[in-house]
Amino acid sequence: MGSEPPPLPPVLPAQVAPGLTQGLLLEGRLHPLTLIFSAWHTFRGVLIPLIVILFFGRKRAEDAYLPLAFLFLVLPLGFATIRYFTFTYKIQNGELITHHGVLGRTQRIIPLSRVQDIRIDQSVLHRLFRMADVHVETAGGKEPEASLSVLSLAEAERLRSAVFDLKGLSATAAPAPPAREIIRQLTLRELLLAGVTSNQVASAVAVLLVVWRLLDQFMRPELYQRWIERSTEAAATWLTQLGSGAWVVFLFFFIAAIAIGMVFSVVGSVVMFYGFTLARSGEDLHRSYGLFTRRSSSLPRRRIQVLKIEETILRRLFKLATLRAGTAATTGSHHHQEKGGRDMLLPIVPKAQVEGLLPAFLPDLDEGGEWRKVARLAVRRGTIKGSAALTILAVILYWMRPDWPSLWPFFLVPAVYWVNVMSYRYLGYLHGPRYFRTRHGWMRRSTHIVPIRNAQVVVLHQTPLDRRWKVASVLVDTAGKANTSGPPQIHNVVYDEAVELARALARQAAETRFKL
Amino acid sequence: MYRSNWDIRRCIARANPSGFPRTMDEAVLSPASPPVLYQSLDPRVVKLWRIHSLIASAVLLAVAGIAMLFMGFGQVLPWNSLVAGWIGLLLLRLFFLFWQAWVYRAWGYRLDGKVLETRHGVWFRTMQLLPLARLQHVDLHSGPIERSLGLASLMLHTAGTHEATIVIPGLDANEAVRLRDHLVMVGGDDGV
Repeated sequence: MGSEPPPLPPVLPAQVAPGLTQGLLLEGRLHPLTLIFSAWHTFRGVLIPLIVILFFGRKRAEDAYLPLAFLFLVLPLGFATIRYFTFTYKIQNGELITHHGVLGRTQRIIPLSRVQDIRIDQSVLHRLFRMADVHVETAGGKEPEASLSVLSLAEAERLRSAVFDLKGLSATAAPAPPAREIIRQLTLRELLLAGVTSNQVASAVAVLLVVWRLLDQFMRPELYQRWIERSTEAAATWLTQLGSGAWVVFLFFFIAAIAIGMVFSVVGSVVMFYGFTLARSGEDLHRSYGLFTRRSSSLPRRRIQVLKIEETILRRLFKLATLRAGTAATTGSHHHQEKGGRDMLLPIVPKAQVEGLLPAFLPDLDEGGEWRKVARLAVRRGTIKGSAALTILAVILYWMRPDWPSLWPFFLVPAVYWVNVMSYRYLGYLHGPRYFRTRHGWMRRSTHIVPIRNAQVVVLHQTPLDRRWKVASVLVDTAGKANTSGPPQIHNVVYDEAVELARALARQAAETRFKL
Repeated sequence: MYRSNWDIRRCIARANPSGFPRTMDEAVLSPASPPVLYQSLDPRVVKLWRIHSLIASAVLLAVAGIAMLFMGFGQVLPWNSLVAGWIGLLLLRLFFLFWQAWVYRAWGYRLDGKVLETRHGVWFRTMQLLPLARLQHVDLHSGPIERSLGLASLMLHTAGTHEATIVIPGLDANEAVRLRDHLVMVGGDDGV
């Protein structure tokens, strides 16, 4: 792969006249290269065990190779062949229909108006051959509703434009192909910043674990066990000799770990999001990114159930934020580590620009409006809670070593108060005619924006203490289950106000149409 | 007879025009808005909850009794503390029988235009507001004891993720059917 891999082409205009939305629109089957790709996948999966067996296995085990080869190569290849020859798909009468299976034939019908998201993923190998995996997502379920692996890139794009143009037709009856407007492209500098400000220590630990497991697979324990024993012994004697100097060494290692983590997260961020482009054509938000594995996904913007603006501690130092869109599509919990950046609508953006970008995602966003505060009581309650925790800590410390210095946690009470005052300043909610927003946090801030047309249930909670203080919490539940870590909620609202707010939100929701 | 002093303190009026048992919201707190009337559950539901509680108590006390006998004869703990523990458990379960009446009094629902509002909870209060246009489907549930008492419960499902289902227990079976049909009818036209 010497030359630069070709970039993803833009969304093609509709290839059919609007009148042809009925009847058969598109029909096809998987690309013949499916077989090669399946073979490669299988081979890659068994590569390490194979090497282990070949090099470290007992001699004179040739008899075992044949069943192993059958198990690991022939069987999966057989399945791939069957899949290739039996899998067909078509778009007919506004539905995507897939057929597969030999003995148990499955026909799956997905109404196009229910498609939440189409993802086109290309690994390096896919890009070499101009192939792609296509995943069609609907609301609910644990897995994509239909996974087509592999199609030629041109065919994948054709499928996507067919799905989305049809949807556009059914929704708005505006046949003109919408213009593509680039909302945001991320520069290399921004990606570097994103890497530096993401959680480095965690990623460093993760990488070290992976390396460790790889080493564990390749090496026999006898090889390194003695080495580890010897080095721990050496370190122990060295530390006892150094005495308090050991702290310097620990500090050094700590800084080194952070530096390594930072390098990994910078590289990770660049590899993942290289060339990130967020564009909009008509109702569809289209993201494409990736240095090696190229990913692209289409998300109709009215499918956004909740929008979350997230500012982590490090990112606030650089005045940066992350945008997440909660949708009803699959959570991808089975691939938890491999979200592939799909959980972010915009991985990084200067905080000052967020407000200007919002109308691109939420076109009918309310103008202005006034942020309302919750009861001032929130500060007192937060301080009492924090002080209680500190008291428990102090008691434990005093119990372990009964002298005055053990009571140091009490000196933190003013700090707790200060933190609560600071977070109270930001805490609030904004109730507009079409949108409801909440925001909270001190160091780490987050803002939720919910279109009220997407509110499913409005809940008001009151703990016994809440009742004592005449306050309540308000929670707005939506169908957005992925990416925003919970629904927007706000605590310590004055009870009367909370009841009024909840009733008003529910009434507004009842007056609007919800379409999943 | 459906109210305690606890509730009466919060009431400013005892309007009960339809003859149905009703409870009052604490909306009295806000002088601007008029007090809100909630529909109570069917009073028979207290009996249902008590039967459930009795069955659970019987099982629990039997298991605890057997454990007590084993521990007593095995001389793990002295007899008097074991018996005291068992009686403590018995009193706790007896208390739950009274508790059900409080739970009943805290329960209320009402239909406010196109919004269904429920409230419940004695210590921890919850008020759920369901815009009926968001109703995905409704289950009508009726267990064996419930059926023998002529009761049914409604489960209202939405597309939400955290508080997606709202349950109204202990409705009169006919009333449950009527309410279900009414809710579906109001919700069915999908708002605007």
